[in-house]
Amino acid sequence: MESAQTGTATERSLIAVVDDDESVRESLPDLIQEFGFTVKAFSSAEGFLASDSVDRTCCLILDIAMPGMSGLDLQRALQDRRLKIPIIFITGQKDEAVRRRALDRGAVAFLFKPFSDTALLEALNSAVRN
Amino acid sequence: MAQPAHPAKDVPLETSVPGASLESIEKALRRSQAFLAEGQRLSQTGSFSWRVATDEITWSEQLYRIYELEVGAPVTFELIRTRVHPEDLTLLEKMVEQARDGGNDFEWHYRLLMPDHSIKYLHAVAHVTRDRDGQLEYIATVQDVTARRLSEEARDKARSELAQVARVTSLGTLTASIAHEVNQPLSGIVTNASTCLRMLSTDPPNVEGARETARRTIRDANRASDVIARLRALFSKKDVSIEAVNLNDAVREVIALSCSDLQRNRLIVRLELAGNLPSISGDRVQLQQVILNLLRNASDAMTAVNDRPRELVIRTERDQNDHVRLSVKDVGVGFDPQATDRLFNAFYTTKNDGMGIGLSVSRSIVENHHGRMWASLNDGPGSTFSFSIPCRFEVSAAANSSVTTHTSVKAA
Repeated sequence: MESAQTGTATERSLIAVVDDDESVRESLPDLIQEFGFTVKAFSSAEGFLASDSVDRTCCLILDIAMPGMSGLDLQRALQDRRLKIPIIFITGQKDEAVRRRALDRGAVAFLFKPFSDTALLEALNSAVRN
Repeated sequence: MAQPAHPAKDVPLETSVPGASLESIEKALRRSQAFLAEGQRLSQTGSFSWRVATDEITWSEQLYRIYELEVGAPVTFELIRTRVHPEDLTLLEKMVEQARDGGNDFEWHYRLLMPDHSIKYLHAVAHVTRDRDGQLEYIATVQDVTARRLSEEARDKARSELAQVARVTSLGTLTASIAHEVNQPLSGIVTNASTCLRMLSTDPPNVEGARETARRTIRDANRASDVIARLRALFSKKDVSIEAVNLNDAVREVIALSCSDLQRNRLIVRLELAGNLPSISGDRVQLQQVILNLLRNASDAMTAVNDRPRELVIRTERDQNDHVRLSVKDVGVGFDPQATDRLFNAFYTTKNDGMGIGLSVSRSIVENHHGRMWASLNDGPGSTFSFSIPCRFEVSAAANSSVTTHTSVKAA
């Protein structure tokens, strides 16, 4: 499941996808790779936090609703560890309150599923530039 | 006017006053008739007499008014037939036939179809008697019960709407998870198709990659349509349809639908589904409503639980050989033992945002399936809600016969 596609592995060049949905973990990395990034997928927030990818991640694409630790929980956990990884949230639930909370806490973008490839690319570019 | 066989005893007849003049007797009679007419008008009840041998029918004024016919017009069955609702004509013929043969008191409900196409509901009660010549005669009252009937219909409609409210409230809270369920595969479709296009646009095109993403697109589209099909089955307002229902399948479908809801509340769902569970006869959608309701209640009961895993166990098993039992066990707040009897009452709720409809509707669904539903407190924390429904006849018969076969083999 943790399908790393290696590219130019410099410091903090990895895009991490964290989503409990298998079809997202399957489809999104291919698209992101088509954009020209190196990408790795995780099925849970806990799995990502425990991995050695945390220090190499330059942008996190993060689902909100997951069993166990939610996307918002992970955002907080990273902040607690003073890890400033730009986050792009992706969610299937149109919940304005959650969106506002995520953006207030510094998320780069908040995309509702299904989102277009251009919207994702735009968000990725602005995340990586920062 | 026909000689009434039974003068109304409650109408004050003053004719027996000794020495009364003819004039005062007539006055009293008119007064008595006026009383009777007013009573009939107020109660919307007409009366008639029918001499069977001669088919001589006499109506009270009120009955003419109910039928909206000119008072005093000669009453024949032909005339009556012009007013009786076409669908009730056969009933009328049958009643008349039986009345001619029988000589029993009878009572029936029928409808009139008025010239303006409105419908009147009538309730007739007839008493059989013999006239002075020993001939069969019926004395009957006919009450216009349209108003009552319409209010009964309104009540029944309100009742079924109430049941619908329970569906809609669970639907309301489920909307978010439905959106999630549908958006998930849609997201996969959009992402895969985008990737596919990009792979085909490179030089040279990545055909193998494109093929794989196209395959995934199809799979996700099928997944989305499965979700829609499940939703339609669960929430369509169709009438009760009786079919063989496997409770294990019903549970799995409900779980699949409410998956994200359960995840959001951080529930650990454990399924203990019996293998070889016999089917029951019933309405799958209604039974899933019951299961869904029990799940939601269990979930709600555990929202405040933070010191232990929020574990929810759904168990199916055979019950007393010819029943199937489903129980939902939580480790939540439980309920006040003194309130056990009230749990299933309509509008009884312990939730701030609850309507207290779910369990009452659930129990009536289970009872409509000839089953029963009950609640108990666990030895540890939380409560268990269960229902038990008889197996389908064929299945339990088949099960019995297989047991018999088995025994005989053993004996041999």
